[in-house]
Amino acid sequence: MRGITEPMPHGFQRDMVTITPRRWLKLLAQRERSRLAGAALCGIIAGMLTVAVVVGLAWVVDQLIVQGRATAELALLFLGLALVIGLRALFQWGQEALSAEASLRIRQEARAELLSKVAMLGPVWLTQRQSGALATQAVEHIEALDGYFARFHPQLRIVVALPLFIACVVVGLDYLVAIFLLLSAPLIPVFMALVGIGAERLNRDQFTAVARLSAHFVDRVRGMTTLQLFGHTKAAQQDVWYATDHYRRLSMRTLRLAFLSSAVLEFFASVAIAVVAMYVGFGLLGYIEYGPSPSLTLFTGLAVLLLAPEFFQPLRTLSQHYHDRAAALGAAESIVAILNEPSIIPRNIPEPQTANAVCELSDVAIGYPGRQPVLQAVNVTLLKGDVVAITGESGSGKSSLLALMAGFMAPTSGVYRRQRVKGAWLDQTPCLVQGSLADNLRLANPEVGEEAMKDALQRAGLGGLLAALPNGLESTIGERGVGLSGGQAQRLALARIYLSTAPLLLLDEPTANLDTSTEKLVIQALLEWVQEGRTLVVATHHPAIVSVADRHLVCRGERLEEVLL
Amino acid sequence: MMRLYREFKPWLALLVRRRQRFLIGSLLVWVTLIAGLSLLGLSGWFITACALAGIALAAGLPSSLDIYVPGGGIRFFALLRTVARYIERLYNHNTVLTLLADLRFRVFGYLTRLDDASLRRRRASDWLSRLTADIDTLDNFYLRLLIPPLVALLCAMAVSAFIAVWLPSIAILVGVVLGLLWLLLTFGCAWGGFANSHQQVSDQSTLRHLVVDQVQASAELMSYQTSDWHRHKIVLQEKRSAANQRRLAHKAALGNAAVSCITGALVLAVLWFASVAFVDGQVSGPILVMVILIVLGVNEVFSVLPAGFTKLGASYAAVQRLNAIPHTNAEGAPELLFSEGRQGGSSITLNQVSFCYPQMLENVLNGISFSLPAGQKVVITGVSGAGKSTLAQLIMGRITPTTGEVSVAGCTPSRVLPESRAQHFALLSQQIDLFDGTLAENLRIANPQASDEQLWVALAQVALSSWAHRQPQQLNTPVGEKGQQLSGGQARRVALARLLLRNPAVVILDEPFAGIDAQTAKHIAGSLRQWLANKTGIYLIHQIDDESLLPGVEFFGHLAEGQLITDTDMRHEVN
Repeated sequence: MRGITEPMPHGFQRDMVTITPRRWLKLLAQRERSRLAGAALCGIIAGMLTVAVVVGLAWVVDQLIVQGRATAELALLFLGLALVIGLRALFQWGQEALSAEASLRIRQEARAELLSKVAMLGPVWLTQRQSGALATQAVEHIEALDGYFARFHPQLRIVVALPLFIACVVVGLDYLVAIFLLLSAPLIPVFMALVGIGAERLNRDQFTAVARLSAHFVDRVRGMTTLQLFGHTKAAQQDVWYATDHYRRLSMRTLRLAFLSSAVLEFFASVAIAVVAMYVGFGLLGYIEYGPSPSLTLFTGLAVLLLAPEFFQPLRTLSQHYHDRAAALGAAESIVAILNEPSIIPRNIPEPQTANAVCELSDVAIGYPGRQPVLQAVNVTLLKGDVVAITGESGSGKSSLLALMAGFMAPTSGVYRRQRVKGAWLDQTPCLVQGSLADNLRLANPEVGEEAMKDALQRAGLGGLLAALPNGLESTIGERGVGLSGGQAQRLALARIYLSTAPLLLLDEPTANLDTSTEKLVIQALLEWVQEGRTLVVATHHPAIVSVADRHLVCRGERLEEVLL
Repeated sequence: MMRLYREFKPWLALLVRRRQRFLIGSLLVWVTLIAGLSLLGLSGWFITACALAGIALAAGLPSSLDIYVPGGGIRFFALLRTVARYIERLYNHNTVLTLLADLRFRVFGYLTRLDDASLRRRRASDWLSRLTADIDTLDNFYLRLLIPPLVALLCAMAVSAFIAVWLPSIAILVGVVLGLLWLLLTFGCAWGGFANSHQQVSDQSTLRHLVVDQVQASAELMSYQTSDWHRHKIVLQEKRSAANQRRLAHKAALGNAAVSCITGALVLAVLWFASVAFVDGQVSGPILVMVILIVLGVNEVFSVLPAGFTKLGASYAAVQRLNAIPHTNAEGAPELLFSEGRQGGSSITLNQVSFCYPQMLENVLNGISFSLPAGQKVVITGVSGAGKSTLAQLIMGRITPTTGEVSVAGCTPSRVLPESRAQHFALLSQQIDLFDGTLAENLRIANPQASDEQLWVALAQVALSSWAHRQPQQLNTPVGEKGQQLSGGQARRVALARLLLRNPAVVILDEPFAGIDAQTAKHIAGSLRQWLANKTGIYLIHQIDDESLLPGVEFFGHLAEGQLITDTDMRHEVN
């Protein structure tokens, strides 16, 4: 009776929308729209105040030199200028503080998004990934977004508004200079493209050159043992220098071209000053009879001279921050690649229909996209208190079946139902997390007390370890602290299960690669959990475990068969 | 302060070795900035002079002004600024890349002296990616923290000296204010941001570890339904880190605001005092304008300092980590040599040898005694983690026993010079390192003088010659980073061929047939039989599946729980 109760088919849920790196950056920027806009506004106001300062200075100079006014008469003007300078510093501070805050919040949200996605992809997907590479994406690559939001994004707004404002002011002072600046205005997009192409190319070339270089270095360091074994270290050290130097010569060739774009910008800023200075000078001498030139004064001349470089300044700042954009796009590309992965974890798992069943597989097929199905037409119901051994050759689907039961992946077809209960997971490589022994135990049950932890360690055969550790439960273990052997790590995983109240235990080859005494301990623990009435599913080769089980399933040729005991 | 200097000193010394490049690079930056200041100052002078001349002319007064020299000067400085900027960028990037080569060379030198235990511990973590990042940080040091302060100081001095020609008292004011500003932006910013930027580095590393945990423990976290609990830990860490970064950003912003505020105020002050001097007739109008515009432009020189110096703490953290790599061997320098040209292998004796890895509580090996006559072969079995690789490292003297003695050909191997050890031993390690390069390059690591024929013979011995012949580039076939272009079995065979190009006295083979199919394994076993004929041989394997693959083995041992069970009769049981 399927009828109306048939749940949604939940295979690999493909999120239909794939997102591009640019789009993702845009979406992130939208979340902090107001702060980013505020930062840009502060930048524009600070720029306007700079205009006020230079125009004010020109006015004061004109009053002093040409109009012959005494310094003391202008005291009020000096005071006003000081006020404007203070205000400008305030707005500059505001721009930086606001954009830094926006960038901080955006990075936190981006990281949360990435980690949530990783959680939706689940352990099955993660086994194919290097955790170090993922950590790089979640930490370094997210941090690489900082420059884009804190500097480039606000500057992109400033670069549009501020030159326009300056041009307007210059029109009021001398429209010929304004025309000269505005004539170069249509050129600005051309420069920007030039700068953009140049910087983009520079970045791309630099990125690849540096990446290849680093790869070479890392390659040699990784193989240090081999180099030592062959007495080849001295030659390799020379090699490291030559390789870096070779790349230096290569990249200098591309840099020669790439730096031209910034030189062009520098050139225009310099030329603007020179041209305006010559025009104003000749105008003041009365050599130019044309347009507004005869009415030039020292005030207007000095003001337009100082405004000319300010006109180009936002663009120069933008080109300085251009590498931030390239870095952010590179980082976004690597992160978006994960965000676009189809989720593997099932959205929701329905409750079993049979009474007393812990989990139910009806007509389930398990597989991975683009590969042969691993198991097909699996029909099994596990009841409370069952002790199930799953055997089969390696690659026959034991681990995939356990992963499905644990909810790490959805069936490609059929329905998997499971009670909403906690599970416990144990595989060949138990995971140690950074931190103390207690932190490692809390992973199974965060609320558990100290006594219970000690008891669990004792039962898992780690009483001796606990006694030997300098700070007991609070001793740091793992990479940064006391190292544990493979056997000790497996015992720690057993202690976690003792601490947890999980009624369903899923164990993937729990005795593989263990010394005999740890192996005995694991089998002993299994018997105790059976006594406690927990439901056990064990994928194993070990005959002793199979003999403990009251049900025996075999994976063979894409099918799951039950051996009747 | 002294500690800071001590940590930076060896690296600064490295930079100083290229002091000529540093000085020329700084000079180029200085020229660029001075050309900019001159352009603005001269333009100001020019238009003021023109304005005054124009007024005089309009009033019918006689007035003459040479417009060609200043006009030419303006064009010259405009061009100089552009050209100097371009050359400066090229030149300094060239220096940075040269420094990178120097830095990598030095760090690599440190690493070559690491013993196996330290290498293994480091390989396990993300130490390698951090190492390259740290070297890059130090490399950036040059453009962010060395050139800018020097150039800023030189510019401040040049500007004050220039002003002193006309207005000495104002020059002193400018010199003092810019000097104090320089101190504020270098030492002040470094001091203000130090703790925060140092903290930022360790925050990031903590966050990294938490993320790695979240990923690696995802199966456990999901099953025990404690994912949210762990995610909450990450969120807390992020909050702490964000608060710290916010403080750092505010301090950097404060530095920038200070530049704008102080240079702005300086312009006003100079204008005020200079105008007084102007009214007194001490200085002409054009000079006054020139001085004002130069002081106005000086903020560009200082604006790069706060961003660099607030992050000094991060550079310090990088340097601390690089300094943490041991530079010298802790125990006395090795001085022994194995006798050369030894035929027939070496005898090996272990007497009550125990070994405990640093930070482990239990010994991996516990009181192992065993003796192997020269030229004999032994096979030692054991599950992974039983200590087989540790045993190999002990015999080769790559680690020293915690207690007990190892003796090879009558010497303590750990006291033998590394070069001599490399001659004497050959090890096929469990983890195969192939380098990003061609097949021939990888083989010649074992024997740089080997001819192509010798390489082909070695490849034939491991049944790879027909495969290599089929490759379009033959011996020049790239094998890729970590040997990714080859299958696991092929990579292992290349590593074996590499060994066969040498002539050591003692050979240790750790899982020589892993990932190699039975027929190929037989072929290789045949090659090994010949090659091992006059050598001492040690096979380390998980379990004996096929004894015919282990030619000439007389001795058997089994490692379990730190103990070695030797039994020459075991062979009969296997048979």
